Amino acid sequence: MALGGGLALLRAAAGALRGPGRPLWGQGVPGVPPSRPCSAEAPPKPSEPPSPYKEKPWEYLESAEYQEAYGDKPVWFGYRRHHKGAVPPRHTRKACLRKGKRVGNPCPICRDRHLFVDFRNVKLLDQFICPHSGSIFHPTHTGVCMKQHKLLLKAIAQAQDHGLLWLRIPFVPVPQDDFAARPPAVGKTPPAPQLTAGRAWYPWYDWQQPPPDAVARLRRLYKDYLRQEEGGPAPGGAPEAQ
Amino acid sequence: MTGLDLQKVFRPVKQELKPPKYKLLTEAQLEEATKKAIKEAKEKLTMPPVLDEREPIDDVLAEDKILDGIETTKYIFTDLTYSIPHRERFIVVREPNGVLRKATWEERDRMIQIFFPKEGRRVIPQAVFKDEHLVTVFQQDRHEDILNMCIAQFEPDSADYIRIHHRTYDDIEKHAKYDLLRSTRHFGGMVWYLVNRKKTDGLLIDMIHRDLLDDATSLITLYHMLHPECQSAKEAEERKLQGVDLIKVFAKTESQKEGYIQLALQAYEEAMATSTDHIEELDLCCLLQHQL
Repeated sequence: MALGGGLALLRAAAGALRGPGRPLWGQGVPGVPPSRPCSAEAPPKPSEPPSPYKEKPWEYLESAEYQEAYGDKPVWFGYRRHHKGAVPPRHTRKACLRKGKRVGNPCPICRDRHLFVDFRNVKLLDQFICPHSGSIFHPTHTGVCMKQHKLLLKAIAQAQDHGLLWLRIPFVPVPQDDFAARPPAVGKTPPAPQLTAGRAWYPWYDWQQPPPDAVARLRRLYKDYLRQEEGGPAPGGAPEAQ
Repeated sequence: MTGLDLQKVFRPVKQELKPPKYKLLTEAQLEEATKKAIKEAKEKLTMPPVLDEREPIDDVLAEDKILDGIETTKYIFTDLTYSIPHRERFIVVREPNGVLRKATWEERDRMIQIFFPKEGRRVIPQAVFKDEHLVTVFQQDRHEDILNMCIAQFEPDSADYIRIHHRTYDDIEKHAKYDLLRSTRHFGGMVWYLVNRKKTDGLLIDMIHRDLLDDATSLITLYHMLHPECQSAKEAEERKLQGVDLIKVFAKTESQKEGYIQLALQAYEEAMATSTDHIEELDLCCLLQHQL
């Protein structure tokens, strides 16, 4: 009896669930988090305004703010990763912004909201390239998260593509081919006679006169069904085997 | 005229650093090493070919109207036989309307790069080769780099190759940055371009400023060979001029910047005069020292 009662309650609760498993008593105004007057959590912070340097990120690197924060050193100088143990892991963290929330100790690019990885702010990209060997620093050296590192790689490749960054060009010797010769693959081939005469490509694309013996054979086969104007025999109506 | 500056040809490039290697050589070994270096440098300085623009390919091989409308895309058929040179490779395109035509030069280059990739060349050329981005590269004085990239990416008779080379030469001539290409394999091409278009004044002045009189005379000789009907060529042939006289006649008759050339020649002659005085004084001092 109690079991039956319990089952009935469960069924009622399941029936009362609306949408994605939200209980009946939990429905409030969508979008507004439920107010918890006695909770110890801090009230949600208002989101920060967008950075003024979003359109032109290279201007930030000339500004007094940047000079005061970093001086002449690169952006990642002095950043220390937080990890357990003496040996740091071989990869840095995957991303500094997880589910909209910042992790503790974000990486050098994510901690400054005015820094944008763009192929046009060459000064920022230069800070992540070794000035002696021209290779890009590993993220364990600079401390950036893997997501920013991937964006950096893309931006550096794009900047090199557009000629804004230096790129090592391997020496390609001068081609020795004979450029005067025009073999048939690249030279002029005379067009086929069909094309010049304006005829169709295959002769059977146009109507062709059929061979007379085939015409005669077909006439003989279907002589009872030919129409009057084609010179067949007078319509005999039904065939003789009626 | 290109000049063989070993320090510039074998200058250190940014690359992965290795510990330096030291060698102890005798005088003879050092001479042999220098000769070998000069031979290698001469190979590196071979001039790339200067060609006219290639004629576009537009040959129709077949028209199969029965295939019209069956496919929605073009099909490119490339002959992948390994042993034939790329220029003899047949590459044909079947259009959706059934026409079978030979592939254009751009399609050919793309297909050959996909199946037979070459070092330094990309299937889709870099964005630097567009005119608006070339300006950035010229501002950074990287003319030699862009020309090397162009040789790696394009064929010597393609339109892009010729356009980029002409833009580079124009920019160099505008800003008188001739020294950037000296001792590189692109100098010859630049001189050919300028002499054909009769824009040799800036280069001549630059050569006189750097005391390269032999180069200046060979430049003017080349000019006369290419434009034999000009007045300076006829005068030079009549009077068999050499050296500074040749330059003076050229400046008077053919050049637009006559004043600058005269000034440069004057400065050069003054410098020669003072240096000969110095040399005479040094000789006297040496003689005196020997006597003492």
